[in-house]
Amino acid sequence: METTAKTQTVPAINTSKHVKYSKIKDFICEKIVVFLTMLSALMILFIFYFVLSKAMPVIKASGIGFIIKDGFDQQLSDAYFADGGQKNLVFGAYGLLMGSLFTTIGSLLLAIPLGVGTAVVIAELAPVQIRNLLQSVTRLLASIPSIIYGLVGLMIVVPFISSTLITNEMQTKYITRFQLAGNSMLAGIVVLAIMVMPIITAVSVDAIRSVPFRYKEASLALGLTYWRTIVKVVLPVAKSGIVAGVILATGRAIGEAIALSMVTGGIGNIPRISDGFVFFLTPILTLASAIVNKSEAMSVPTIESALFACGVLLLVSNTILTLIAKSIERSFRRSEGIE
Amino acid sequence: MNKRNKTISPGRFLCWLAAFITIAACAGILIYIIANGYKQISLKFLFTQPAPAFDESQAGGISTPVIGTILVTVVGTLIAFPWALSTAIFLAEYGGNKITTKYIRLGVEVLAGVPTIVIAIFGLAVFTNPVFGFLSSIVETDSDIKKAFGRSFFVCGITMAIMVLPFMIKVCEEAIKCVPDSYREGSLALGASKWHTITHIILPSSKNGIATGVILGMGRIIGDTAIVWLTLGGTMRMTGIQPWWKPANWLSTLTHTGSTLTSYIYFASPAGEGNMPLKAFGASFVLIIIILILNFIVDYLSTLGKQVGRDNI
Repeated sequence: METTAKTQTVPAINTSKHVKYSKIKDFICEKIVVFLTMLSALMILFIFYFVLSKAMPVIKASGIGFIIKDGFDQQLSDAYFADGGQKNLVFGAYGLLMGSLFTTIGSLLLAIPLGVGTAVVIAELAPVQIRNLLQSVTRLLASIPSIIYGLVGLMIVVPFISSTLITNEMQTKYITRFQLAGNSMLAGIVVLAIMVMPIITAVSVDAIRSVPFRYKEASLALGLTYWRTIVKVVLPVAKSGIVAGVILATGRAIGEAIALSMVTGGIGNIPRISDGFVFFLTPILTLASAIVNKSEAMSVPTIESALFACGVLLLVSNTILTLIAKSIERSFRRSEGIE
Repeated sequence: MNKRNKTISPGRFLCWLAAFITIAACAGILIYIIANGYKQISLKFLFTQPAPAFDESQAGGISTPVIGTILVTVVGTLIAFPWALSTAIFLAEYGGNKITTKYIRLGVEVLAGVPTIVIAIFGLAVFTNPVFGFLSSIVETDSDIKKAFGRSFFVCGITMAIMVLPFMIKVCEEAIKCVPDSYREGSLALGASKWHTITHIILPSSKNGIATGVILGMGRIIGDTAIVWLTLGGTMRMTGIQPWWKPANWLSTLTHTGSTLTSYIYFASPAGEGNMPLKAFGASFVLIIIILILNFIVDYLSTLGKQVGRDNI
């Protein structure tokens, strides 16, 4: 009975041979899909394996000293000019780590108010036309390549810093430690802030919009003004979503290589807070931009291994950040019943 | 009450200020690049090769970087698209709520957070392996150990594919999930197999969303510098058998180094070795125009597709 119905409605598959053939085809296609899925899921493990195995010599030789000792530039040039038999495997990337840390924190301090403020305007305050404009602008900022940010930073921000903030007395005072030329941590912070802001805005807009409308209605009905409602009701509820966005932005900021290598000066100084304002004008090098800056020396195996060890630090920190962001997002969705 | 509503509170003002700074930053970058770049654009600039020269006016144009960008984007997209689409199909249609699916999703999410520079050195670590020598070229080191060069258009394209993979998966999965369940039920009730339903019903009706994902992924590939700088080498011209544009030499071109617009800008900027800012602005202008066009296509697709309900930035 069933087979006759099938032959009447779908004449194309009336032979059992055809059915068998298409079943085999389905089976093969589904297996290919499963294989490719497994491949994309396992890719992160491959990355960990290959980067770690290349970094192992330096990590073994340096141990914990890799993240608490200084002098990366000097060790690098020693390794570059070392004799054939000699193996310089002890590196200390403390300066790079501090560089990454300071630029990331600084850029977040700038980007969070900008990003969340813009998100509030997009989600709550702006009329439709301005909202659409702002959304396009945010999307465009997110898709501008980092090399453009680097170029603009190098042509506008760096000359601005060197002409307005750096005086001759400052230059002579610090000449023994580093050259103040505008290529500095401050330039890196400014460029990075503009780069990560769209991420914070995009995630915050989503978080603010997912606040249930009844919360706002209740608050307005109790006589709070619209602005008080945003500050006291909407933002606290959306808080963990916003935090997840900030963590994503942190990951992006730590991993940014090209733009920072262009504007931060490329020398692994550790900024000292005792310097006062010059703290911000110190030329620095971050973990990610060190890999780009020193990539030409990669033909030396010890240097290659040291740069891969920097990659390991980036990989581990970003994995941890992603996991934290995911768990925050999940608990947020669960607590608000949005799931 | 009325009075209170009319006064602009400082917080409200600061929010508008933040929005204004956002617009100003975006407009500032665009205007700066376009104002400095458009003067450089001429047919000669677009169709001559870069030439090493101290004098900036003799330094040639950007023909090979443009071709390089196209090559890397095509190779990267051709690899990433089927790969990402398969994963998205699995996650959206076969995955369900099983524990393995959760781990697959986690793996993809962690991959999405990996910085591009790390993916670049990963590509370098994998493809300098002599097994993959056919993708670039074999170099003989002094101690007779064979090693692959690990820098070529193929290597760069594959590494780019890994970089955009999690991103494309996410967009494609969302597009597939937007297809109403009634479509699936209707197809299955008519006797079509699950695979037939996917290929003939679900993918055609989510094609706008999938196209959006592909274009966004292409934008990422075009804009990336770190991967290009490490896995394509820093040479400005094509280094395969010359002339590189002859079909007989295409394979050689693809297995050798070259440049893209982004690596050309890095080279030509004051931070790079070339130090030809005017050329860098010209190339940035071309790059920005490409990115703007891709953005407009994405906007157009999102207004076109009815299934894209809520506006995601």
